[in-house]
Amino acid sequence: MIRLEQATKFARTRGISKPIIDGVSLVLERGKSIGLLGRNGAGKSTLLRLIAGTIRLDSGKIIRRGKVSWPLGFQGSFQGTMTGEQNVRFVARIYGVDTRELIDYVEDFAELGPFFKAPVGTYSSGMKARLAFGLSMGVNFDYYLVDEITAVGDANFKRKCRAVFDSRLQDSDVIMVSHSTTTIRDYCDSGLVMENGKLTYYDDIADAIRAHNDNMKER
Amino acid sequence: MTPNDGVCVLLQEKAASLGHTVTHMRVVSALLIREMEARFGSKPGGYLWALLDPAAHVLVLTIAFQAIARAPALGTSFPLFFATGYIAFQFYQAMVSYVNAAVRANKSLLSYPNVAPIDTVVARYFLQFATTIMVAVVVLGTIAAWMRVPPELSWLPILEAAFAGSMLGLGIGLINNVMFVKYPLYEKIFSIVNRPLYMISGVFFLPDMIPPPYRDIVLLNPLVHVIMRFRTGFYDEYRAIGLDMGYTYTFAFLTLFFGMLLFSASSTLLRNE
Repeated sequence: MIRLEQATKFARTRGISKPIIDGVSLVLERGKSIGLLGRNGAGKSTLLRLIAGTIRLDSGKIIRRGKVSWPLGFQGSFQGTMTGEQNVRFVARIYGVDTRELIDYVEDFAELGPFFKAPVGTYSSGMKARLAFGLSMGVNFDYYLVDEITAVGDANFKRKCRAVFDSRLQDSDVIMVSHSTTTIRDYCDSGLVMENGKLTYYDDIADAIRAHNDNMKER
Repeated sequence: MTPNDGVCVLLQEKAASLGHTVTHMRVVSALLIREMEARFGSKPGGYLWALLDPAAHVLVLTIAFQAIARAPALGTSFPLFFATGYIAFQFYQAMVSYVNAAVRANKSLLSYPNVAPIDTVVARYFLQFATTIMVAVVVLGTIAAWMRVPPELSWLPILEAAFAGSMLGLGIGLINNVMFVKYPLYEKIFSIVNRPLYMISGVFFLPDMIPPPYRDIVLLNPLVHVIMRFRTGFYDEYRAIGLDMGYTYTFAFLTLFFGMLLFSASSTLLRNE
């Protein structure tokens, strides 16, 4: 369960201040895979980072029951100077999981071949996405926060993601950001729509997509 | 709420804070390994480079000063005199220049929620402190082994100076991590101010040799005291006039305190950009 209590966060740059979420209270129950929809710049990625806990709210609270992943994006949480393997080892250490096991799993999943031992800075975005995806799937989380990652990669990668996700989603949930409504419809069964600092929860993803499309028509 | 519930909540909080400590320790050790790989594993020679730099430095100073002076300001060994000064200085200087970039160099790893900005600083502090100690043992040990009459060491002043120097480096490094991001201009100013410290901190002269009104000005620099204290551990006869470790500690803990304040107030800034 993830609960937001009067959660407020403003984006501030150079004197401009824009609400990302403004006094939002809601509960996301376990067992729901949630698609997060909103226009460009609404703050979807920021919301994911708030839920992950990498950035703090201005006021209010976010209560997490269960293990929440880091926001999983193709930009990656990778240090470019470290090799793929070193990055994996680092994650294994900070989450306290077995290093050898995780390396084997990710090496097998990401199919990077010799590049697994090359600096991540030399990777293409597809390669980074494979590494990121495999890495997070190798660590057991109750919630996976996914930011547009399935958009990168070829058909083969997408099929693999789908398969591993389907098995993971048996006992884990996902909160996913994507501009592709097809992807969202594919993976998620309920939705959250972000608009002007407000978050609206829809139990049915179809309703969420409809509401989102209405928002897009307005402006 | 029954009293029992209160105990339960208390226990939960205890467990949570214990969990936090465990996470911090895990993250710091993971960062330590990552930093070691980056610093020593990426080029051939690895750890040797950390030694070679100060060794070469002491050698150059020795050759240069032997040409212009008959005896060092203390004792009879030029290498020992310069090495004690340079290494004491390095406890601060190497620390500050390494810790300065701690957050910046690990920026992408901060996207993991359990990696806190402070962890990167702590990891770099430990790695640098251990490295400088190793450099000190090897370089000073080699010099002492070459001397006809090896110096009699008193460990307390040596360790105290090493600790104080590294604390100064940590405090200023903490401040810099925030300030370099906030005010790029400050980074330029800091390097202009920091660079001549090497010249005026008493690496190759003794503040005791300076006449009174000017000596008091030189003694305002806390690093002068660090180096003086370090040398008293090697030279029995060194009187170290004006040495005031209390002043150095006050200075160090003020910067630490201020650095911590800045650091915790800017956590969002440090994570983002």
